[in-house]
Amino acid sequence: MSEITAETLDPRARERFPIGWWGAAILIVSESVLFGMMIGTYFYLRFRNLRWPPEGVPKPHVLVPLVVLGCLIATAVPMQLASIAGRAGRLRPTRWLLVLSALVGAGYFGVEVWQFTQDLHTSTPQRDAYDSIYYTLLAADHAHVAVAVLLVLWLLWKLRHGFTRYRTTALRAIVFFWHAVIVLTIAVILTTLSPSFT
Amino acid sequence: MTTTVTERVDRLERMWVERPGVLGWLTTTDHKRIGLLYFWATLVFFGAGGIEALTMRTQLIEPNAHLVGPTLFNELFSVHGMTMIFWFIIPMTTGAFGNYLVPLMVGARDLAFPRLNALSFWIFLASGIFLYVGLFSGNGPNAGWFDYVPLASKVFDPGRNIEIYTLSLILNGISSTLTSANLIVTIFKLRAPGMSFNRMPLFCFAFLAASLGLLFALPSLTADLVFLYLDRNVGTHFFDVAHGGSTLLWQHLFWFFGHPEVYILIVPAFGIATEIIPAFTQRKMIAFPLVAIAELLVVFIGFGVWAHHMFATGLPSTTLIFFAGATAMVVIPSTIQVFAWSTSMIAGRPQFKTPLLFIAGFIFMFVVGGLTGIMFLAIPFDQQTTDTYFVIAHFHYIIFGAAVFPIFGGMYYWFPKVTGKLYFERPGQISFWILMVGTNLLFFPMHIVGLLGMPRRVYTYPANMGWGSYNLVETIGGYITGIGILVLFANLVVSYFRGAPAGHDPWHGPTLEWSIPSPPPEYNFATIPVVSSPYPNWDHGDRERDGKRLAAGEDVHDQGHQQPISALIDGWRVGIADMPHSSPWPILTAFVLCMMATVLVVEKFVVAGFLAIVLLLTLLGWHSKEPQEQ
Repeated sequence: MSEITAETLDPRARERFPIGWWGAAILIVSESVLFGMMIGTYFYLRFRNLRWPPEGVPKPHVLVPLVVLGCLIATAVPMQLASIAGRAGRLRPTRWLLVLSALVGAGYFGVEVWQFTQDLHTSTPQRDAYDSIYYTLLAADHAHVAVAVLLVLWLLWKLRHGFTRYRTTALRAIVFFWHAVIVLTIAVILTTLSPSFT
Repeated sequence: MTTTVTERVDRLERMWVERPGVLGWLTTTDHKRIGLLYFWATLVFFGAGGIEALTMRTQLIEPNAHLVGPTLFNELFSVHGMTMIFWFIIPMTTGAFGNYLVPLMVGARDLAFPRLNALSFWIFLASGIFLYVGLFSGNGPNAGWFDYVPLASKVFDPGRNIEIYTLSLILNGISSTLTSANLIVTIFKLRAPGMSFNRMPLFCFAFLAASLGLLFALPSLTADLVFLYLDRNVGTHFFDVAHGGSTLLWQHLFWFFGHPEVYILIVPAFGIATEIIPAFTQRKMIAFPLVAIAELLVVFIGFGVWAHHMFATGLPSTTLIFFAGATAMVVIPSTIQVFAWSTSMIAGRPQFKTPLLFIAGFIFMFVVGGLTGIMFLAIPFDQQTTDTYFVIAHFHYIIFGAAVFPIFGGMYYWFPKVTGKLYFERPGQISFWILMVGTNLLFFPMHIVGLLGMPRRVYTYPANMGWGSYNLVETIGGYITGIGILVLFANLVVSYFRGAPAGHDPWHGPTLEWSIPSPPPEYNFATIPVVSSPYPNWDHGDRERDGKRLAAGEDVHDQGHQQPISALIDGWRVGIADMPHSSPWPILTAFVLCMMATVLVVEKFVVAGFLAIVLLLTLLGWHSKEPQEQ
């Protein structure tokens, strides 16, 4: 398929909210409610236990998760710029902005998985309800970050032959999903770190 | 000019024609074919659920009976409840009726995501097969359809029964989420020009309400199921009080899903009623905007009432009173609708043909079930009758009477559209009356026997309790209901082969599906209709202009698999989408997902991880061809 430029890009691709974007929106609503339920579970269990975390379980580390969370939040900027560049049909900046975001996202994922495995040396999900919800929340969130990075990699692979209407919609949907994952990650990280703030 | 129209229609037929034979059905993305697949599959599950019900009723026909033992009885009532809710009513309404009819009513050529629609059906079918393979292998779910912990925990239920429960429902939930996403985006973005929200049929409002309900309610169930699976198979402690967990957490998460679920079950039935009443009274629905708002409101309020299922669990009094009050609010939108249906029938010229008879029966059953529902607001009464047959009576009046009766009415109403044949009226009316007598004999005595103290979910009872005669009547009613259902389907089958041709519009129906041939062509509408009211088929001027626009080649979109996209609020055109053709990827993806669930039953986590990679590859294959390249 020949490369499509800003001049030749199908004007329909610039439609304000294509149905693919709506599909992503519905997925995000569903995922957000799922995380809402898990975070609700965290606080439900927290308020039914006198000690949180239980006796003998260390409070979560704050510094590393917050620093890497800051890096992940920063990727919202290049991702949004990629979306704008994509809608304008500018292929090269779109690709580079996606590459940058994917690298930072993958870095975040790597550090968080390392932190996760380090935590497992001190406590496990089988220890008590606190650890069960702590690890489940983090695992679910890390999985979402991994999916977001994989989606960007897939998009980069598809963009090797330039833009089509389908790919432009995919770009917008993936950027939307990426932003949603950032918001969910903020909620999850702040929830899991909450015992350290009190 | 006629030749030109014929040429355009021929080109549309070539563009939209489906692959023939079995392969065509396996790879179809056509909403009508998928709707029919849902219809047939859910009927099979309905049959299975019905056999389970009759087996239980036969066991309870007299005291101390021994047709089935307690172990099998546990599986029968658990799988019966699951089947009727998750594998019959929801897929029959959103899957079969929604799939087939929503695009036709909004003037679209397909759903917004046709391949996702196919995936949704195949996952649904796989989840049902998964459940029944579990049942037939002696591992059927056995802790009731709401599966309370600690009964469902590993300590008290050590087999694989609960894994079948959790994983089959997770699969089913994925399917329902995909269907609801598809219906929401279709209703938002594929409406015909001019179909602003205030001109959308009430049927579509109802399906929008049900889909939004599913979208917001299902994640709660999914989280609950994942926690239970992890507790049982990984050793976590979400529901283990000894390790800081909570058994009530299961109930909160379950009923946060479970109560909206009740409205998700009946709101589509409301939608069916709001189509059948105008057609058979030949008048518009009274209080259209109020009914539309009430359909949405009943689901919305449904999210604030979940703890009324937990009045006997020791929640604080303030909580109980709040949830009793919130539950009372559901009466308002429900009553608005009851009055709107009734007054529309009274104010019109009702022709009590079979579909309208079923709607009249539905209103009666809904009022009876609703009145007993209000009784549960009285907290002491609820605490007294909880887990008795009174509860069974109440929710069967709602779920069978209010949800299934309109489904039967809808089957008769749209039978001519789907098959192109008229059904036989007299046997249809006979089937209604048999069902009306049967269901009331079956469910009404349950109120009495429940007040006499008979608990639900007992496989037998002693002779000296005074429950025997009521149970005998209930069982007779169960068999009469079964006969009524057989008469109904026998009539439809015979009508399919011997019925008179129906033509486009045998009922002078109000909505767009009656403006096109029966059965509808693959592309649905040769020219995309322009709409100026919620009863577009009664706007004869608009339909005549559609014919002229087709002759002029306006809005035909015959250069591919094309579907106009509309603005969210006013429904006017904002673009054209290229829709995908038939595809093998949805069925393959569903197969891989089902395999993952199967290996998770036996805790083969590494194999599940490998299958997750296969799933990713399948999704890559899915997206290897873009719709405009096909």
